[in-house]
Amino acid sequence: MILSPLLLLGPMAAAPAAPVQGDLFVIKAPRVELGDGEVMEHAVILVEDGEIVTMGQDLPIERGIPVVELDEGQVVMPGLVNPYSRYGMSGGGYNDSRPQVMASAELYPSAAYKAFLENGVTTVGQYPAGQGIPGQAVAVRPRGDSSEEMIVEDGVYLKVVMGNNSSAKRNLRDGFKKADDHLEKVAKEREKFDKAQAKAKSDKKKSSSKSKATFTPPQADPRVQPFFDLREGKLRALVSIRNAASYAHLVDAIGDEEFEWHLRIPLTRDIDVFHVADEVGERGCFVLMEPLITLVPGTLRQRNLPAEFERAGAKLVLLPRSDSKAGFESFLEDVGVMIGAGLDRKAAVRAITHNPAAFMGLGDRLGTLSEGKRANLLIFSGDPFQPDTKLDAVMLDGKFVSGDMDQ
Amino acid sequence: MHLRPNQQRRASRPMRLLVAASLFLAPAALASAPLDDEPAKEAESEEDKEEVLVLKGGEIHTGLGGVLRDATILVREGKIEAFGYDVDVPEDAEVVDVSGMRVYPGLIAVGSFGLFGSSGNLDDSVDPYNQNMTLALSAGITTAVDGNTVAKLKRGHVQGLVVNTSAFESLSYSNGNPQGQLKVEQDLKGAADYIRAYRAWEDEKKSNKEAKEPSKKGVDQKSLRILRGEVRPCFNADSRTDLLEIAHLAQRFGFRPIINGCREGWTVADELGRAGATAIVTPRSRRPKDESLLREGGSSIENAATLYSHGVNVVVVPASRGISLGGIVGTDLLHLPVEAGFAIRGGLPELAGLRSITIEAARVLGVDYRIGSIEVGKDADLIVTDGDLLHYQTFVQWAIVDGEIVYDKQAEMFFAHIRPRPESALAPAERMDAGEESPADAPEEEPVEETPEGETPDGETSGEGGGEEPQPSEDPEESEDPEESATTAGN
Repeated sequence: MILSPLLLLGPMAAAPAAPVQGDLFVIKAPRVELGDGEVMEHAVILVEDGEIVTMGQDLPIERGIPVVELDEGQVVMPGLVNPYSRYGMSGGGYNDSRPQVMASAELYPSAAYKAFLENGVTTVGQYPAGQGIPGQAVAVRPRGDSSEEMIVEDGVYLKVVMGNNSSAKRNLRDGFKKADDHLEKVAKEREKFDKAQAKAKSDKKKSSSKSKATFTPPQADPRVQPFFDLREGKLRALVSIRNAASYAHLVDAIGDEEFEWHLRIPLTRDIDVFHVADEVGERGCFVLMEPLITLVPGTLRQRNLPAEFERAGAKLVLLPRSDSKAGFESFLEDVGVMIGAGLDRKAAVRAITHNPAAFMGLGDRLGTLSEGKRANLLIFSGDPFQPDTKLDAVMLDGKFVSGDMDQ
Repeated sequence: MHLRPNQQRRASRPMRLLVAASLFLAPAALASAPLDDEPAKEAESEEDKEEVLVLKGGEIHTGLGGVLRDATILVREGKIEAFGYDVDVPEDAEVVDVSGMRVYPGLIAVGSFGLFGSSGNLDDSVDPYNQNMTLALSAGITTAVDGNTVAKLKRGHVQGLVVNTSAFESLSYSNGNPQGQLKVEQDLKGAADYIRAYRAWEDEKKSNKEAKEPSKKGVDQKSLRILRGEVRPCFNADSRTDLLEIAHLAQRFGFRPIINGCREGWTVADELGRAGATAIVTPRSRRPKDESLLREGGSSIENAATLYSHGVNVVVVPASRGISLGGIVGTDLLHLPVEAGFAIRGGLPELAGLRSITIEAARVLGVDYRIGSIEVGKDADLIVTDGDLLHYQTFVQWAIVDGEIVYDKQAEMFFAHIRPRPESALAPAERMDAGEESPADAPEEEPVEETPEGETPDGETSGEGGGEEPQPSEDPEESEDPEESATTAGN
């Protein structure tokens, strides 16, 4: 119904479905939220094989390329990225340190993932359940017939839960300590091996029999490898904290260790993290929180913590207020409320598109709309943050997968 | 530079400097000299910049008797480096103008719960943003005992809080438990015998190398530590009988007991004094005497004063060791200074009242070498108040732990709106006309009226200070230098 006035078909007069099925097509959009906070008007987006090839303002369109022309009020935005969800997964976890566990092992292409697409989420980070250090998250596209088809990237972050107790701190410290111990063990083994080699060499100097041995380092405990990866920058950690105190304990537990870490701060209950907003902002790490106004614990004073952290310098990532269909459905409206309550609008757009993608290390592939990025985009009937705006269509890798244009 | 006008004023005003104060000036000057002359610390100078805190122009109460008016405290790397009148203020120091205010050592609560948000190993479980911690700081408490751990209220830090992990060595010696008493006596006697035998052996060893060292077997280690003076045992005792028996036990074996409670201590104060006891008292506790007994008993408002006058060191704690935001207010840790004020009401000298929540408390906990008074070299645990600490009207304006400001009244939500400091956004823009309110009804409004001149709420008894308006009669306890209010607030 909506499609017919929107589609200005090329002279080839292809069937309405043609642009979707074709490898190459153009979207002409009056207004595009690029994902980095900027807006492009009268944009022309050329998509080939699910990727944005060219993009610019009022670009001339070659004859013969199918065009999806959007209505004047419609707004294009990058597909939402939710880096922290267990929707579609089940089961619990443990309370200790199992950094080698991969959430991708749990992945199963169930019908539940449709809920993501229906609400504009085109990339999801799914993490393993449990307290302590439950394991590594996987970035998935919420569509596919097999888990392999869904995985965008595995091991995107290591989830760590930090509380105000010695076991949480020990989990983290011990992980790095075990890594050190392993290095020491390898060094010792090598020394032993070198000595044995030297001895063998001197012994066998007369006899010319030459056996060339190679040193094989001892196998590391699988729990150790992720900590090496953290140190080497191959893996980043997402630390879930309970309050300002657990941030202080986290910093204490990390000590001099250097690795990339970001914060998950649940705002689903009143929390006193504003005490450390400046410190976190100075670090400039990603902070994952819900778009919620919270109260200063024990009082009725409201605080817009997402806005505070964003202003302090943290890279804000917003998550649905609950990891459920209802949460996904109200997500953009919730973000709109935060904008109304003082969150910078550009920051809000970044917090749901570019930042979560960049947090998972996928910023060069998705999260924004520019050349070379995946054609994951959403078409709204108006401003995405207005409650009466409709999500008209969802495009995943250049294909309409949800909404009225999905035909 | 800033100090010069103050010094001139000081010369022109009647001085009440105590002797003790001047004693500190010399070490202060000495202590600051070597550090300043150290050129090798170039690399660390960056660090130092943030580490130096200066409280300028306050009335420093050292807690040991010395009072220095319009003086300066220099804090470097968490320690008091110098204080007095000739303190060199480094250019890059963080200077807080506390003119018109008083600086005291941070208070010590010898019992508490809930201030650290957890119990057990504080290094791994403390909640340093806990609301109760902030509230305790607002009451001036910078160190508290939690369980048996002495820890600082180092807001925002999870390291360096713990000062001592064994605050008390408790011993039970109650008249109600004769067997327990017997056991304590036997243990102490065994330990005493062992010590005697050990000393004899030490002497004998010099002449006779064959001498046998006495066996430690069966000797109670705790008793041994007590008799060697390594720890002071802490008893919970309130009744006259128990107190007397403890005093006799202490005198018999030669140790100095700490007595928690000590309600009827006033009836046997001379005995306790002779035993060298320290009493931890709650001046406002109430208990009638046992009417079946002829002798004196029950609680007395004069308890602390009587004990003190008989040589017993007095430590004050409130009736409730937590922060309670419900019920009848005034008996929890938020009112530690008020509790000490009640001891003064019962006759305790003012200085002893201050000491009862600072240095005496530190001594009982064995941490007086670090905290409890303002002395060069001690930890910079300080509080800045807008008046006499022991007055109910006084607010703590800043609390400093290890040289870091951890509480600022205007920055916290609890009391910021009550008599806000003049530089605060909450302060009223216009001066109130004194005629608008009956002076008798609104003495609290005084500091607001005075805002341009000084920040003391203790606006003086006579009007010479501001000189503009006759001020209502005030609490006589508050009497202070009349020129105090003329001190300029800005810098």
